[in-house]
Amino acid sequence: MADETVNVEAAALTTHDRDQDLKTTKIPTAEVHVPNVHSDPSKSRPRKFPDIPLFERKNWLIHLHYVQREFEKCKVLIREVLGESSGMCEYAVYVQALILRQEGKIQESLELFQTCALLNPHSADNLKQVARSLFLLARHKAAIDVYNEAAKLSERDWEVAHNQGVCYMYLRDFEKAKQCLHHALEYRRHEVTYVMLGKIFLMEGDIKHAIDVYRAAVEHSPENPDLLTTLGLLYMQVGQYQKAFESLGNALTFDPTHTKAIMAAGSMMQSHNDFDVALTKYRILGVNTPESPPLWNNVGMCFFGKKKYVAAISCLKRANYLAPFDWKILYNLGLVHLTMQQYASAFHFLSASINLRPKMAHLYMLLAVALTHLEDMDNALQSYEQAVKLDPTDPTIPLNYCVFLYNSGQRKQAAKQFSTFEQLLRAPKQSQQPVDQAVLDLASKLGPVLQVGENLVWKQPAQPSGPPVGETPTPTPVPPSVDNISNDAERQGAYAVPSREGTRNDLNNNHNLASSEADDSSQTGADNLSQLPLQGFENLDRSQLRTPLGLPSSPAPLTRMATTTGLDPEILASPTVEETAPDALYAMPMKRSVTRGGLAPLTHGSSTRGGALPALSRAPLPPAHDPEDDDDNECEEIEEQIETVKQRAM
Amino acid sequence: MDSKEKLSDTSDKWLDAYNDRVASLYTFTQCMTLSDIKADGDWKLIIADLGTGSYDMKLKVYKNTNLMSEHTIMDLPTGVVTFYLDTLEPRTPAIAVASGPYIYIYKNLRPYFKFTLPPLEIHPVEQDLWDQARQDHVSPIIMKETLESLRQEGATLTTRSLRLLQLDPSDLDTFIQVQKSAPLKRQTVITCLGTLKKNLADDDAISCLVIGTESKAIYVLDPEAFTVLATMELPSVPVFLSVNGLYDVEYRIVTSCRNGCVYTIKRGSNEAVVKHTIELKSQPVGMERIGKNIYVGTMDQMLHCFTAKGKKLWSIKMPATIMTLEAIDFKPKGFSGVAVALGNSQVQIYKEKYLTDVIHTEDVVTGLRFGHFAREDGTLVMTTRSGSLFVKILKRTAKFEERDLSAGPPAAQNVKLNVPKKTKLFVDQTLRERENAVAMHRTFQRDLYLLRLNVAREYVKALENSMNPHLIRSHRASQAYSSGWLLEQLKPNLKTLFVVQGVGPTFRLTVNLQNTSLTQVSTSLLITFEYDDKLYSFHKKLIQVPMLVPGLMYLYESFIDCLSDKGVSDTVKVYVLKQGRSMPLITGVISMPVSEAVVLS
Repeated sequence: MADETVNVEAAALTTHDRDQDLKTTKIPTAEVHVPNVHSDPSKSRPRKFPDIPLFERKNWLIHLHYVQREFEKCKVLIREVLGESSGMCEYAVYVQALILRQEGKIQESLELFQTCALLNPHSADNLKQVARSLFLLARHKAAIDVYNEAAKLSERDWEVAHNQGVCYMYLRDFEKAKQCLHHALEYRRHEVTYVMLGKIFLMEGDIKHAIDVYRAAVEHSPENPDLLTTLGLLYMQVGQYQKAFESLGNALTFDPTHTKAIMAAGSMMQSHNDFDVALTKYRILGVNTPESPPLWNNVGMCFFGKKKYVAAISCLKRANYLAPFDWKILYNLGLVHLTMQQYASAFHFLSASINLRPKMAHLYMLLAVALTHLEDMDNALQSYEQAVKLDPTDPTIPLNYCVFLYNSGQRKQAAKQFSTFEQLLRAPKQSQQPVDQAVLDLASKLGPVLQVGENLVWKQPAQPSGPPVGETPTPTPVPPSVDNISNDAERQGAYAVPSREGTRNDLNNNHNLASSEADDSSQTGADNLSQLPLQGFENLDRSQLRTPLGLPSSPAPLTRMATTTGLDPEILASPTVEETAPDALYAMPMKRSVTRGGLAPLTHGSSTRGGALPALSRAPLPPAHDPEDDDDNECEEIEEQIETVKQRAM
Repeated sequence: MDSKEKLSDTSDKWLDAYNDRVASLYTFTQCMTLSDIKADGDWKLIIADLGTGSYDMKLKVYKNTNLMSEHTIMDLPTGVVTFYLDTLEPRTPAIAVASGPYIYIYKNLRPYFKFTLPPLEIHPVEQDLWDQARQDHVSPIIMKETLESLRQEGATLTTRSLRLLQLDPSDLDTFIQVQKSAPLKRQTVITCLGTLKKNLADDDAISCLVIGTESKAIYVLDPEAFTVLATMELPSVPVFLSVNGLYDVEYRIVTSCRNGCVYTIKRGSNEAVVKHTIELKSQPVGMERIGKNIYVGTMDQMLHCFTAKGKKLWSIKMPATIMTLEAIDFKPKGFSGVAVALGNSQVQIYKEKYLTDVIHTEDVVTGLRFGHFAREDGTLVMTTRSGSLFVKILKRTAKFEERDLSAGPPAAQNVKLNVPKKTKLFVDQTLRERENAVAMHRTFQRDLYLLRLNVAREYVKALENSMNPHLIRSHRASQAYSSGWLLEQLKPNLKTLFVVQGVGPTFRLTVNLQNTSLTQVSTSLLITFEYDDKLYSFHKKLIQVPMLVPGLMYLYESFIDCLSDKGVSDTVKVYVLKQGRSMPLITGVISMPVSEAVVLS
């Protein structure tokens, strides 16, 4: 057996091998016979030339340690190998460069990759890595050039096309970027490419195409929760709530703790008054991201919807603490405080919100309501004027304005505002959306009092119940005494706020919600890309929100409101916070909640002036104790205390 | 050696069979195999040990828990497989150890044959050069230049030529003299090793060896004649191989490569099927095939599953870095899954995408094999980074749950939201505000106006006294001995900078003056100080400043002695005055640092 072995082997060996085998002779243990034969002087030749070890003989080991992330071991090996080969081992240099990149030393890694490219100028991989390093150093133009070189060496390469597209994106050459990314998708379909392409469309504001891209991406990898969430958010942005919910639901199936998906789904549930379910979902986030301002904002508004105002304020204040410059949280705080009749606090929150967002008509309207209650009529008037100026399409503003004017005895102007309100209500745009019943109730009370308007009873305009043409308004038989009216109207003024809120919910397609959700989605989109080393929308957002933090250096750019509302000019932000900055980051799901909580039918015309809102005392029953609820007994007790005091005040 | 102490193990499905913490093994999954090499039904564990990484490489065979035999290996072992190379009885498989460009084959634990990879093609010009060199027809310098230009063109040269290129011109001649007589050849290195049944699917059927090399090729070797049956080209260097099928019928070689792609090669094609390429986002750390699916663990802590056609089925994120993968095919229970060794000292077992079991180990597992060992069917052999060897036996009662351990609503959903609490005080304040909102608001507004008025007054006052607001930067020198306070002031045409240095009791105050106007000179300036003379004493109380040329920085110094040892400090005012004006041009207020104890002389 041993002889046979030797023969076979001898035949197979070349001279060089045999030399190698000389060394093998040292192996033998007792049971090995072969080497003895080799040591036979007749067969082995004296060593004439030194054996040169192969440079690449340890490449596989370097690679193996590299992929196991044992970088220290890797470095030792590389040093050894480079010593043996005097730096000629391309792969060792390559891995060294990769490790340096992992350690964040991009410049050094770039130099090593360039060395690799010198050692082997015909490898597309080396060029791709050089380009990648340039990209990481934000030298996009240089990166594109090197990628072009690499493309010559490796045709139809997805990586090259994709990365070129990304470079063009950062150079803001969107056309070329899209072209490159489309090429990349032709070569090979990858999620990242879809995401980048979608991002470009979003940057261009082309939501429709972005949706198409994400839909294709979801088809390609149907189980990716990030893609599904982004798609869902985009659907929300264009108002396709059904599809949005489906998409978000799918995302949550594959990852039940996906923060963005929960956030988006939760805000949708809130808009359907499904507060308990939303709260349950938010619990997951409470564990995952306990310091997220949007989370606490939404939780707060859930409690608000459930009429647990103390808990709502607690949560909103925490949100405000976490994100002090977020106007939506301040807006919500203002709203909750208005509902709680804490007008002085409401004023501060609303004026802070206005400083951050000086172009929001609703903020001015709420401010006006707060000022009315603070008996600062001049400023309230100015505030209403500003609100009407900023948003001449919202019917609730003229309605509230009308109530205010009526209460201050300016019947003529009040009638004018009322007719504006009627016009807006009848505008075709509005008629498609249901208008809050409370608004209509209020209107139907106001109309006769002012002796204007065509309708006595307002109904949902969606119903084809337009009053018969030509019907003249029946004059109110006996106008109530001035005192009474003003009392009534005073209260109307108070209600009109929440009613506006309610309406706002319905109008949200035009306004806040849509835009805020849009931002939400864009933010998500950005987050998906967070591995990529450049600006996400979120970062942009934040930084732009942050810019106005410093007090304006000069008190010059006061808006008109500053003087009129008696706002501290210093606090007023110079109007640098602009529309360009995307809206706040998350949905503001306050909406209908208020409708339920705050609206009282006008018929309860109690004559106590300045009394508590009947709505508040009447509608919210003491909350039933739910052991599953998140706010515990202590909180509930406080809620109850406040409630009882309110009732007593009645 | 036989420390049988129990591991703190969460999984109750495994029995500890053997723990050896001092086995000092340096090995990987591909260098371990389990095989019945004696054909006695007692399966052995064969481990190729990389020793120290440069010497002491050994082939170790464990019978039960004992080291049965040890063979020295010449170079680093790349992979170990066992295969049947003949039909002789008893059916004893041979062991193949890949190392460098060679495969050493052991039969009955004896060296049997050494296969060398076929040498690669040499560039004709290079061959020609060395031929000429042998007859001394070419000068070393010209030879070096020609080789260098060859390399620049992208030709792959032999190691010998590459070595020559690195040498100094003076050493060239000796090198060529030594090397020239040997035949020139270009070799490559084996990077991975696998087996492929030749024409029968039986367990003990004859198999071919499948070899992946550094030269981006895959060879299939005939087991009897040791000739290359098939050669296949790849776009990159193969790292992991997974082979199934029969060589003579139909086979498929799936290989993951260093460029992060997984290629599939079918019988009959000598190139990878590009259509079925899987491009990964990260480097693969391990690849296994279970059934028709390909499982790949990647460096970014993801476990992916693909169909044979390269379509992604799912990906899951692992809690830590993946170290290696091993397919688990446990026929008695009909269980097949994949074991994933992680960087957090866990081995997790997945059935499809569902986690079914977690084994905690003492150290990070780098090598993992599942199969027959000794007389047990289901044995998991693990080697760790620190060189220990652990063997675990699957209990006969063990059942792998088919569903995900983490299914159902996440646990976080049952945690209550931490809603901030409010106190009675909050209620009181709320009620107070509700009653007195108007008064509160008005008071606030009035106070605000008063505040603003006061601020404006103070501002005017400061302007009148030339005590403009200063830009103050706190500055501490890095040396322990000098702590400096720095004041900087910007005036329309005079810029000042005050620095206090020292730890006391003597400080040095430096006043930097710079005329910032472009054209006008500043003349007849004075510097003086205002201080508490019980606390400080200035060496210079008045400094006359000569004409200041625009743009230049002038330095004026005065030493200050601190007279108190009470550890108190005060502010010192620096005035820059112009002759003939009572109002200072610039006033700087410096907070003096607390002095060290006064040295009593």
